[in-house]
Amino acid sequence: MTTLRAFTCDDLFKFNNINLDPLTETYGIPFYLQYLAHWPEYFIVAEAPGGELMGYIMGKAEGLVPKEEWHGHVTALSVAPEFRRLGLAAKLMEMLEEISERKDAFFVDLFVRVSNQVAVNMYKQLGYSVYRTVIEYYSASNGEPDEDAYDMRKALSRDTEKKSIIPLPHPVRPEDIE
Amino acid sequence: MAARGHVHDPNDRRLRPIYDYLDNGNNKMAIQQADKLLKKHKDLHCAKVLKAIGLQRMGKQDEAFTLSQEVATLEPTDENSLQALTILYREMHRPELVIKLYEAAVRKVPTSEEYHSHLFMAYARVGEYKKMQQAGMALYKIVPKNPYYFWSVMSLVMQAISAQDEKLSQTMFLPLAERMVEKMVKEEKIDAEAEVQLYFMILERLGKYEEALDLLRGQLGEKLTSELQSRENKCMVLYRRLECWPECNALSFKLLLKNPDDWQFYLSYFESLFHLIDQGWTPPEGEHCVEGEVHSSVEQAISFVEERITAEDGKDSRPLRGPYLARLELIKRLRERGCPEEQQLGEPLELMSQFFVKFGSKPCCITDLKIFLDLLNPDQYVQFINRLMEAVPLGAPENNGVALPGDTRALQRHLCVSQITRLLGLHHMLDAAGKLSVIRELKSHYHNGLQFGDENMLWQCLGILEEGLSHSPSNAQFKLLLLLLFCQLGAFEPVVDLYSSLDAKHVQHDTIGYLLTRYAESLGQFAAASQSCNFSLRFFHSNQKDTSEYIIQAYKYGAFEKIPEFIAFRNRLNQSLHFAQVRTERMLLDLFLEADISSPLEDSVKSMSLCPEEDDISWDNMRDNRDLTVLTSWDPKYRQLTAEHRQRSLEEEALWLRVRSLTLRLVGALASISHPPSTHNSEKTTENGVVPKASTLQHLLSQLESTLSQASQFTEKHTQPYPFFGPPSTRLAQALASGSCQCQLSAFQLTTLLLELEIAGLDMPPCVSEKRQHWYPNALLLFLEILSKCKGDLLEVKDGQCKAQPSLLERLVFFVETTSVVLWVSGYCGGVLRPLKSSLQKKKKKKKETTVALPEVFTGFQEYTSSLQTLLSQSLDHIKGQEVSLTALKLADLSLEGQNSEEGTFTKAAMDKVQSSYLRSLQEVGELLRKRMDTMKALKI
Repeated sequence: MTTLRAFTCDDLFKFNNINLDPLTETYGIPFYLQYLAHWPEYFIVAEAPGGELMGYIMGKAEGLVPKEEWHGHVTALSVAPEFRRLGLAAKLMEMLEEISERKDAFFVDLFVRVSNQVAVNMYKQLGYSVYRTVIEYYSASNGEPDEDAYDMRKALSRDTEKKSIIPLPHPVRPEDIE
Repeated sequence: MAARGHVHDPNDRRLRPIYDYLDNGNNKMAIQQADKLLKKHKDLHCAKVLKAIGLQRMGKQDEAFTLSQEVATLEPTDENSLQALTILYREMHRPELVIKLYEAAVRKVPTSEEYHSHLFMAYARVGEYKKMQQAGMALYKIVPKNPYYFWSVMSLVMQAISAQDEKLSQTMFLPLAERMVEKMVKEEKIDAEAEVQLYFMILERLGKYEEALDLLRGQLGEKLTSELQSRENKCMVLYRRLECWPECNALSFKLLLKNPDDWQFYLSYFESLFHLIDQGWTPPEGEHCVEGEVHSSVEQAISFVEERITAEDGKDSRPLRGPYLARLELIKRLRERGCPEEQQLGEPLELMSQFFVKFGSKPCCITDLKIFLDLLNPDQYVQFINRLMEAVPLGAPENNGVALPGDTRALQRHLCVSQITRLLGLHHMLDAAGKLSVIRELKSHYHNGLQFGDENMLWQCLGILEEGLSHSPSNAQFKLLLLLLFCQLGAFEPVVDLYSSLDAKHVQHDTIGYLLTRYAESLGQFAAASQSCNFSLRFFHSNQKDTSEYIIQAYKYGAFEKIPEFIAFRNRLNQSLHFAQVRTERMLLDLFLEADISSPLEDSVKSMSLCPEEDDISWDNMRDNRDLTVLTSWDPKYRQLTAEHRQRSLEEEALWLRVRSLTLRLVGALASISHPPSTHNSEKTTENGVVPKASTLQHLLSQLESTLSQASQFTEKHTQPYPFFGPPSTRLAQALASGSCQCQLSAFQLTTLLLELEIAGLDMPPCVSEKRQHWYPNALLLFLEILSKCKGDLLEVKDGQCKAQPSLLERLVFFVETTSVVLWVSGYCGGVLRPLKSSLQKKKKKKKETTVALPEVFTGFQEYTSSLQTLLSQSLDHIKGQEVSLTALKLADLSLEGQNSEEGTFTKAAMDKVQSSYLRSLQEVGELLRKRMDTMKALKI
């Protein structure tokens, strides 16, 4: 009961229903355009039969192949309140993983607020595990450090030994992550 | 770093500190350092440019520009200078200078891949497609890399898209682009997905759909792998366009087997099915079509849908809604065609009830069922609601007779039934008592729900919403509703915090910024109004620069499909209705607040580089980017926002914008004919080009007249308000009703009368002076009328009820705006009359005449201004009086019927907010009026 299609610029005028949620960030135009220009296949929106936007996922592929760090990354994933509990986020994640598989990536990763238990649990259910904690990854609008993030990962088929998801023993600082 | 001879350039080391200072925002030190370096190394051009960047960032644009041109004329080819100049030009918003820079560089170093590529990007930034095409080819000749070749091809496509002449695109640009790609195909040089994408775009735009299909299904099509189902999706579009219904049907079928929840493919499946039935299509021998099995009868469709449902029913995992809704969709379509087979699928009431049993606890159940409610007969409505209620588990009735749900899922089900009840219009059929009892019931449901997680009615709503917000501080709908209600009550003060707590940013300024800008100024909160305009303006101004950068990125990454999309996006923002509105209102507001108060009108107009001759609004391509459905509404169909409402609202907004923009330009024109106070010299006027400027004024004035008559026709024709959750109406109707439009128009008309006087001198024909003498009393009457419509109490307590009259506040704002216009015009009149009077008096002195009465031309004006003064003091007294009575109003003593003490606290808190907001508005309006009155001293002649 969903139409899944590529996100376009015009959707920016219609996504209030999703983005007025306090945990969903509305970024500046350049941020969205950068993703649309570089990784259009990773930016997918779900649309309800009535034309309302239900949710979207935004991602990218990055990292060096020789270091086995070539991976898919989830930049944003959000579903409007009235379209929750339908498994939509899982569907969008599945698509992002499939695209990353095609690109021959080693793993998929994402950052999530440590306090966002609902999201952390959902990702765990989808097969993600905490790879490391990033200290004070999130900052408040005044620039002050706000909260730590979990860097969660799921190995893809190329990483046969699942080396990419072996948890780090110590937390890291934001400046230490590539 | 190909262009640089050696890696360790000593200049890099010398320049480093300047870069560092600039990066840290220490422009002063950067400039000092640059000066120091330039003393030793005169020819280190880059240091000059870096100094210019520092100057530019310190606001010394002219110096920066002069300095940069010293380097630019040398046509530098060192990488440092080129990069620095590019940065500087970008900050100056002069992208065309970057082009000149690199054109010179490639002339001097014709084999540099880097400079050619910079030149290409510089053209891309300003959209010089033809030059881009050439630059791309030039690059390819130097370094035969595929991307360069395809940059050139894409630039041809862009020439086609932007060409005014469609024929030229179809017969020249696109075929040329096609041939260029075909050449590469023949030579088997195609290697990237982006190149196939571009080939596809060209064929599609040429209408060569068959060829496009061959491309997709052929070997090259296999390269389309990044995007999921990219080939299938593109094929589907083409099948529909080519009306290849068998293929369309078979492909939809295939994709639905893969994902039985993808709604778009049900729609294409049904669409193609009925086309095939209408065509009497029969399967040929052997394979049905390249895409596989085709369905071409109602029976097949019915069994296909039922099979999907059986599969769904038999599944252990979470059931998908798609198949169940597809059944309803099929019924809908069969019914539209009058097919009796619809009955085989079941009775809609029954099926929808079953759907509710399965999915009723999902919040989206309502949006799903909403589109199928038309399948019910009105006489089934009550039965349907009763059926649904059977599936809502409620506990035993409480003392007040209301039975409540026991958990979140039950609550969600109950909510859905209430929403459907409302959608079916059953709430609106109730009488007042019935409605109140529904409200009571819903309120107890709301209060119960918290454990998991008329005028009087308006106040009550505010109370409930405030209470709701205190329990769910991040609920956007509560905030939006509160915002709407406060605005309708004329109280803008609480809105500022509500809106900022929504954390609306960037593109949201364009889509929901109207909620702020519609009300801030009109409710007399000028400081807040300035701020809200600024938020929006900052966003729009950065758009132009930002989008250009990403058009370039799209070239670099070969995202060719995104290039026209980005350009369309940039245009959509530039042509935004809201952009034009905030641009206009911001300038008007600045003038109202400052012109002739903190600086003379002429200076204010000059500083905002307002050009009255120029209309900078693209009326014909205006884009309405407002999100008018940001507030969720469950109202029945006849109360919902329709396409006509949107159309009417846009028309109304455009009319009001035209009134405002003409007013602004008229004020600009007024300033351009005014005399700077220092040179009171009547002789100088004609040679200063007053006459052409006067014709601008005359022209604008007649435009304003016709716009106002259009506007009054519009308001007479459309008296029905928009739906409550729809767009707010503009200030237009109030502006006309308050009399402020007529009064401002007449003020501008006086200007033309005075212009004639100025040109002809005192010996003008009597008919003109007569017109002028009649003008004064008429204008005063108009002005008095606005003021009289402001009288009355903004907020009062009557019979124990709190009553607000927010329209009085809006009228007061019109009064103060009109005062500004009237006084600016008077200022101009004074400027014309003063020198005439003094030269007359000189003549009299020469003739030794004893001072007899002044001619009427002067006394008329003097009487007029003194009456104005009296009227303004009256208005100030009125405002003072309102402030006093508002402050004295004790809302705490009100008893609120039908509300318990906790609800009452929230309602009273809301009332306090309204009271305080009114006070603030009155203060701001009063202060501005006082300042305006002070400017009247300058009107003495």
